[in-house]
Amino acid sequence: MTRGGPLGTARLAAALAAGKLAAKTGRVLRVGGGTSLPGMVARRIDPGVLRKVIGGSRARKIVVCGSNGKTTTSRMLAALAQASGKRVTQNRTGSNLLQGVTAVAVNGASLLGTLDTDVLVFEIDEATIRRAVPEIEPDVVIVNNLFRDQLDRYGELYSVAAALENMIRGLPPEATVVLNGDDPMVASFAPDAVCRRLYFGVRTDDVGTQVPEHAADTIRCVKCQHDLVYSKAYISHLGAYVCPNCGYSRPPLDVAVTHAELDPVGASRITLETPAGTLTYSLALQGLHNVYNSAGAVAGALALGLDPAAASAAFAGLRPAFGRLEDIPAGDKHIVLAFVKNPISYNTTLRTIMQRPGQKHFLSAHSNAVTDGEDFAWLWDIDLEELAPQVASLVTSGTKADELAMRFKYAGVPEERMRVVAERPAALDAALAEVPPGGTLYVLSGYTPLHELRRVMVQRGWVPPFWEE
Amino acid sequence: MQPLTMRICHLYPTLLSVAGDRGNLFAIQRRCEWRGFATEVTEVGVGQSADFTQYDLILFHGGQDKEMDVAARDLVDKAASLRDAVEADVAVLAVCAGYQLLGHYYQPFTGPRLEGVGALDLRTEGGNTRFMNHIAVECDFAEGGPQTLVGFENHSGRTYLGPRAAPLGRVVAGSGNNGEDGGEGARYRQVYGTYLHGPVLPKNPWFTDHLIRAGLRHRYAEVAPLAALPDGAEERAHTAAMQLAMRLKGKMTALEATVWR
Repeated sequence: MTRGGPLGTARLAAALAAGKLAAKTGRVLRVGGGTSLPGMVARRIDPGVLRKVIGGSRARKIVVCGSNGKTTTSRMLAALAQASGKRVTQNRTGSNLLQGVTAVAVNGASLLGTLDTDVLVFEIDEATIRRAVPEIEPDVVIVNNLFRDQLDRYGELYSVAAALENMIRGLPPEATVVLNGDDPMVASFAPDAVCRRLYFGVRTDDVGTQVPEHAADTIRCVKCQHDLVYSKAYISHLGAYVCPNCGYSRPPLDVAVTHAELDPVGASRITLETPAGTLTYSLALQGLHNVYNSAGAVAGALALGLDPAAASAAFAGLRPAFGRLEDIPAGDKHIVLAFVKNPISYNTTLRTIMQRPGQKHFLSAHSNAVTDGEDFAWLWDIDLEELAPQVASLVTSGTKADELAMRFKYAGVPEERMRVVAERPAALDAALAEVPPGGTLYVLSGYTPLHELRRVMVQRGWVPPFWEE
Repeated sequence: MQPLTMRICHLYPTLLSVAGDRGNLFAIQRRCEWRGFATEVTEVGVGQSADFTQYDLILFHGGQDKEMDVAARDLVDKAASLRDAVEADVAVLAVCAGYQLLGHYYQPFTGPRLEGVGALDLRTEGGNTRFMNHIAVECDFAEGGPQTLVGFENHSGRTYLGPRAAPLGRVVAGSGNNGEDGGEGARYRQVYGTYLHGPVLPKNPWFTDHLIRAGLRHRYAEVAPLAALPDGAEERAHTAAMQLAMRLKGKMTALEATVWR
């Protein structure tokens, strides 16, 4: 476990000690949740810290990746494992770049590098897959889906796909890859890989449409580029597809949602067919995307050897993850916090919000900080035109406040209902001032402004800091 | 009285739609609507034949390499009609891959050459690095005097103009056509080719209006000057993008300019 002899041991201990100190300092100074700084500090002292701690652990390891749903799927997996009596360690705050992943090892391990837990759950960003997965050597990898996401950060969709495919090829025969069979590109990944594979997806007429929505990415055959034909489209390009030219089609699903009853305010009722039998459970997290997340989580749990029957108990008590339609009481009003980062997550969130009746109050915030990307062209791929008639008031904020206001203007929101307030705390006040007592403010925000806004809410005592969750 | 109506062709609307470029269509539609003009939009996709001379304005947007490849193969059957439309002064906005494909050819950094439509006198060579910048361009179209265009460029192709195409403008910040000669985009008759995403039109309302005017002139013998619109939101977005481009000027990519990496 401490490869490299006494010197290596000392170095690892120093790295862990420094990382832990950084985490503590961060919490004391309230500069952050200790989610990535410890990892950054520890890696500088011992670049092998993640490999040594995780490789030395006897825990079962699972990695969740893909464009959307990583955080929620990871939380579902953790809840499932805990409901089966396992101890779980995870990077649960969505801190999913290399430093954040390393921080899990730093925060969880003793100074000798011992990480005493049963299941390790890692959600990992697309940009970090290539470096992090070989260091973790996971037993199971889940690939949720692949949507275009901040092209300027990750290069084109196809290079992300290539990185994922290479990662799968590197998995050993005893590992399992869990793929979303409804995603034509993800389903096609690495047919030559030696690891085991499981496909999950949705197979029901309860939900979905006949034609994929505008923002769909992969609507051509990954093998011959011919347009795919869908008998059912669920979210964007996720669905039941077949290529009329070469015959490529959705693979048989090992884990399939066969019944889904969605409720815009209450819990969804789900029936899931698995190799271990049929499960039914209710899901407090709303929206079809969470139905997918739950199916992926159960498939991942099966691959880990957990009892899927724990799903029912595990999912019933789930609360939304940080910024995933998180309901925050703010005095005599409510704030619903929605983290939106790309057209698909934004559209999915909008659909869920729009199903609630009546006109609504909004705060929309985006900034071009490094984690948010530089190019905001994707704002024009969102179906804000559908939202416009429901907008009673709107405040735009962040460094992109002016561009946002213009986008909403072209979506059809009357200018007299909009205000630009670039500064975040002032924007929150301005937006809340429009909301009547008992009403709800919907905050649609990118990563950096969401943290800034949430910090204001923490200062006002409306919500605990996210690292205490 | 029948409202003035502009016939718009949206070429490959699902195939080439990578960077929110449909915002260009929204900008044109809204600014026509606000002035009481009607628009008719026809979507033309792969395998569909079209007489492009019957439209007043054609939108031809960007895509990734695989999408571009599909479009190039389909364009073989559409090229002649597209060239006719250009010579008949149909207005065309071509962005990124669409811009490259209106030229003679696109030679990827690796892989076989894609033949273009040949409507614009230009060629594009693929590079092994990408230009990913906030970009600002100075234009002088005579009509209306000097103006600036702002946007975001994200391309590895280097475009070189021949004698029958003029640059759309001069790069103030960013890389433009090839990062060497200071030119960005191309103009020929009523064709406007550019690397600017953003999308380009909403943040540059003067350019949107220029295209609307060109489209209407294709259809109607006489077109009254366009009514001015309250462009406060557009001007503020334009100014913000301009400041960003100037602040990051000289950097290879917008990402390198950020504090930690």
